[in-house]
Amino acid sequence: MVKLRARCLLAGDAAVGKSALSHMFHSDGTLFQKNYSMTTGVELLMKCVNIPETNDSVELYIIDSAGKETLVEACEKMWGELSLLCLVFDLTSEQSFANCSGWMERVRAHCQGLQVPGVLVGNKSDLSARREVQASVAQEWAQSQGLEYHETSAREMENCDAPLLSLARAFHSLYQERRETIQNLSPG
Amino acid sequence: MIDSSLSSLGAKVVVAASSDENHPPENIIDGNTKTFWMSTGMFPQEFIIRFAEPKKISAVTVDSYNVKHLKIEKNTSQNASQFESVTEKEFEHTEGHLQSNAISLNGSSATHLRFIITTGYDHFVSVHRVNVQN
Ligand SMILES: Nc1nc2c(ncn2[C@@H]2O[C@H](COP(=O)(O)OP(=O)(O)OP(=O)(O)O)[C@@H](O)[C@H]2O)c(=O)[nH]1
Ligand SMILES: [Mg+2]
Repeated sequence: MVKLRARCLLAGDAAVGKSALSHMFHSDGTLFQKNYSMTTGVELLMKCVNIPETNDSVELYIIDSAGKETLVEACEKMWGELSLLCLVFDLTSEQSFANCSGWMERVRAHCQGLQVPGVLVGNKSDLSARREVQASVAQEWAQSQGLEYHETSAREMENCDAPLLSLARAFHSLYQERRETIQNLSPG
Repeated sequence: MIDSSLSSLGAKVVVAASSDENHPPENIIDGNTKTFWMSTGMFPQEFIIRFAEPKKISAVTVDSYNVKHLKIEKNTSQNASQFESVTEKEFEHTEGHLQSNAISLNGSSATHLRFIITTGYDHFVSVHRVNVQN
C-alpha cells in the first residue's frame, strides 16, 4: 500500500470554470454554482483518489488559482512546487483557448525543468450551440504539448472526474517508474 | 569497512513524512545502500533519526537519489522537538548512480538529527543510507 501526494494546479483564464470543476470533483458532483464568483487568490481543496486495481491512493492537493490577468502574478507565489497540471479553457471562447500557450509557458518556467504530467480540459461542453473551439483542434494542440485532452461540463456533471482521475493515475505510474529506476541504481 | 550501521548502534528513525510500505524509513539506517526509503510526492520531505544516547558528530554521510537541497537540524533533548539548524547543502544531480555526500557537523552533540529535503531533481527522492562519524 502506497499513499502518494500531489500538488495539482488548476490554471486557465478567468471564468472558464476552474472553480466549478474543482467543486464538482471535490463534492462528488453535488455543488454547481451558477453565479460567477471570481477567485481572487488561490483556493486549496484536498481529495483522495484510489487507484483502480491496487491498494494505492493519491492525495490530490488541488490549487484553484485565479485566472484574472492582474491577479496571476501574486497567485503564482502560492503555487509552490507543482506535481500536476490541469489547464482549463472555455469551449465557447476561442480566446481562452488561444491563451493556453501563455499559461503553459508560465507553468513551465515555474517548474524549472521538472516534468509535470498535465491535462487540457475544454469546459462548458453543454453550450454546444456556442462552441468556438473544435475538439480536433484542441486535441492536436494538447498532444503537441504532451497533455491529455478532456471535455467536461461542470454544469451537467459531464465527465468532471475524468481529468483529475487521469492525473492521479499518471502520477501513480510515474511513481512506479521512478521506483523501478531507483531499484536498479548502482552505488555512488 | 568496519562501519557499523546506525540501527545496530540502537538508532531509530522516529518520524518520516511519507512512506511506501515496501520502502520504510528504517532502510535509511540499516547500513545497506541496496535498501532505501522513498518519498511519495511533494516537498518538503523530512525524517528524524534518534540516537540511543547523545552523540558527538563530526560528519554525516548521505547516500541518496534526486535530492537537490538538504537542511540538517539537531537537538539534545529526549523529544523530537525544538530543533536548531546546523547546516544545509545543495546536492549535485546524478544519473544512474547514487548521490554520495559527506556533510561536516563540526563535532556538534545531538540526540536527534532532523533531515529536511526542501527540493528534489524529480517528484520523488530516495535516501539509501545515512551514517555518522564521531
Ligand atoms: N454553462 C456552463 N457554465 C459553466 C460551466 N462551468 C462553469 N460555468 C459558469 O462559468 C462561470 C465561471 O465559473 P468559475 O468556476 O467561477 O470560473 P473560474 O475559472 O474559476 O474563474 P476565476 O476564478 O475568475 O479564474 C460561472 O458562472 C459558472 O457557473 C459549465 O460547464 N457550463
Ligand atoms: Mg475560480
